[in-house]
Amino acid sequence: MHPLKKIFDQLEPHFTGTGKYKAIEPLFDATKTLFFFPSPKTTVRPFIRDFLDLKRYMSFVILALLPVLIFGIYNTGFQSGLAQGERLGLISSFLMGAWYVLPIIIVSYGVGFFWEILFAVIRKHKISEGFLVTGLLFPLTLPATIPLWQVAIGISFGVVIGKEVFGGTGRNILNPALTARAFLFFSYPVSMSGNVWVAVQNNIDGITGATALSINGASQGTSIISALTEKGFDLFSLFWGLIPGSIGETSAICCLLGAIFLMITGIANYRIIIGGILGLFVTSILFYIISDSYYTWAHAGPFYHLCAGGFLFGISFMATDPVSAPGTNPGRWIYGFCIGFFTIILRVVNPAFVEGVMLAILFMNVFAPLLDHMVIQYKLSKRIPNV
Amino acid sequence: MEKLSISKGLKIKFHGMPESSLIKISPQKTIGLSAQDIPYIRPKLLVKEKQHVKTGSPLFCDKRDKTIQYVSPATGTIQKIVFGPRRKLLEVVIQFDLQDDYVLFEAISRSHLETMPKGKLISQLKEGGLWQCFRQFPAKDTADADHNPPMIIVSLNGNDLFSPYPEVILDQQMEHFEYGLDILKKFSNRIIVAVNEKHYDKLGQIQKWISHTVPDMYPSWDPGVILYHIKESSEDNLSWCISLDHLIMMAKFISSGQYPVDKIMTLTKPNSINSHILTRQGVSINALLQTVHSEQSMTTGHFNGRIVTPNTHVGFFENTINIIPAQDKEKLFGFILPGLQTPSVSNTFLSRLKDTVFQMDATLHGEKRACINCSYCENICPNDLLPHFVMKAVVNENIEEALQLGLLDCCQCGLCSYTCPSKIELTTIFSNAIDSYYKDKV
Repeated sequence: MHPLKKIFDQLEPHFTGTGKYKAIEPLFDATKTLFFFPSPKTTVRPFIRDFLDLKRYMSFVILALLPVLIFGIYNTGFQSGLAQGERLGLISSFLMGAWYVLPIIIVSYGVGFFWEILFAVIRKHKISEGFLVTGLLFPLTLPATIPLWQVAIGISFGVVIGKEVFGGTGRNILNPALTARAFLFFSYPVSMSGNVWVAVQNNIDGITGATALSINGASQGTSIISALTEKGFDLFSLFWGLIPGSIGETSAICCLLGAIFLMITGIANYRIIIGGILGLFVTSILFYIISDSYYTWAHAGPFYHLCAGGFLFGISFMATDPVSAPGTNPGRWIYGFCIGFFTIILRVVNPAFVEGVMLAILFMNVFAPLLDHMVIQYKLSKRIPNV
Repeated sequence: MEKLSISKGLKIKFHGMPESSLIKISPQKTIGLSAQDIPYIRPKLLVKEKQHVKTGSPLFCDKRDKTIQYVSPATGTIQKIVFGPRRKLLEVVIQFDLQDDYVLFEAISRSHLETMPKGKLISQLKEGGLWQCFRQFPAKDTADADHNPPMIIVSLNGNDLFSPYPEVILDQQMEHFEYGLDILKKFSNRIIVAVNEKHYDKLGQIQKWISHTVPDMYPSWDPGVILYHIKESSEDNLSWCISLDHLIMMAKFISSGQYPVDKIMTLTKPNSINSHILTRQGVSINALLQTVHSEQSMTTGHFNGRIVTPNTHVGFFENTINIIPAQDKEKLFGFILPGLQTPSVSNTFLSRLKDTVFQMDATLHGEKRACINCSYCENICPNDLLPHFVMKAVVNENIEEALQLGLLDCCQCGLCSYTCPSKIELTTIFSNAIDSYYKDKV
């Protein structure tokens, strides 16, 4: 027998039945099943079952997030070095970044799991793997300078109000990670707004660095593209991502890698991602053609819109959350397309928000059941009724 | 002949598919008539223990229609009558004599069949224990003799992947097959004969009777799937279906006047060559195999059927016994292993990269979770249902909505439960919902 298995077997009586720590049985169970994958005999038909389960499903999202996470950590350190006027090497950037980013992730997971376990204990069900993803997605949408207490409040709001009040995983209307971010965005706009604070070690307050989306060329009278290029936000850097911004959103290439991995493995529905990119392209091209505001993002064209800000991160990892997305395929196309559409509308037309992807996704989350309803009604009209 | 294009189903290849050879296994001392695999029956016993019965004498009937009888597949003394919880009849066990003594019915030649009144044919089938072969959609209950079905579907392949092959059952049965089709023509003008395209070439003379071929992909040959793909109006929802072995039995019975006792079935075990078996109706499972390990499950089908124990007997509707490894073993870090030998309809295992034949096991591979709307069930449902939405309607006890979503089109192939990553028992939920709706309605 595996030595680890022995330890779990010895501990088990304390956590089950009349054991001392019966109250936190879900925590014990979650830890045990993380190491030892359970596979009980089937008792009802069909007697054979597919090997994919929710643990693997959610782990694949974590795998897809790894490039974004690793690059995010590196970039945070690198930007922090730049803000201090030095160009850090690979290792030191990474260490510096980890210094800022890891505490945020730890707080997010720690506080989030506290709520998950609490609800699992009260409701007497097992801990759902869904939070593994939420707990990592949320920190990646935050700027590295965010105070840790805000992270704790944010994730608490996301888990409790965004998910658990609806009945837990599978029943939530909004994406919990985005709900958490939206809460922080509206409650503490200073730490979250478009002017992201670049993390600097020796300066508690940090210094401001504009993000790409908050730039326009009106003051210099130059076009948006040249204004962007001048500030170091040419398409190349937007694509690779060595620019200031929230931890996980800066690198388009890393988000694309994750998206492609998720689409190939079928964990994320490709319809949402492709639909979203299509929506973004169509809308931004339309604006490019009809708009005469030469200095603003209306005239940036599809590629800048695609690579700047958090669109690729949002459409790849947030919009594809199957629970809050529609459950029908045509619904997913429309949903994705509308996210792309609203992202551009918010970015270009609404002066209150420089970035629109978060609100676009949350907005479409609310409409997902309606999209499903419409698609189902249409499908039923094609079906020969059997009642 | 029409080729039905069915795009959704299970495309994985399995180890242990039966070979076309046929071996004979004679039954041991007991023969049983099981009531467990007869859908919706409310059995009323007609015999007592120790009573002597002939082959073809009624053992029990259906309380809902007492003229529908279920007859003894052997001559002998009733050894015991087995009841389950709440005195539910499970099976009647007969200790059988070496010689068969048949209850004789009128033997009808093919030329006389045409002039035979339909009423007489029905009563002979009901008395002879073979009316149960006709199943009526949507719930696949025993067919209502007063109903004129818009079509009768004969699927030459059985309801499971491992069911006997049509070329084995039909071997030298051409006449009986044609006779059977003549019987069907007395009940409906439209007879659908469908076969898996893989078996079409092996059917020889029978080919001329085939009306539809379906792709070689479970469960496209299921009568429920065929019905869904060819129906044109809601009247078709009350069609009938009959399986090939039952059609042959029916033909043998009417043409000879004796209850046909032969049965062709398959027995599949891991790591062995699995032939077809010619044996007897109601054979005891003991006679077919000696031992089952505790780390194996014995079922009457991978996707359908029930779990059986060696002391029970094979039912009228069952024609495959599957031994499936079922080791309840916890794998270290099982959820993230690359998985070269682990079949999946998803693309999350490396096994998808190469064309592998898999050995399945009868375990759950995970734990139950909430539905996350991933649509894996929708992507595999052969009848274009949205199982996740149907499930939510059923669980919310909104049966009207579930029916609108097509609950009754569910053919209970089991693929939604098979594929669900949250391990939700969709098939059980649907089949319970259909049963309770159907029982309320009748």
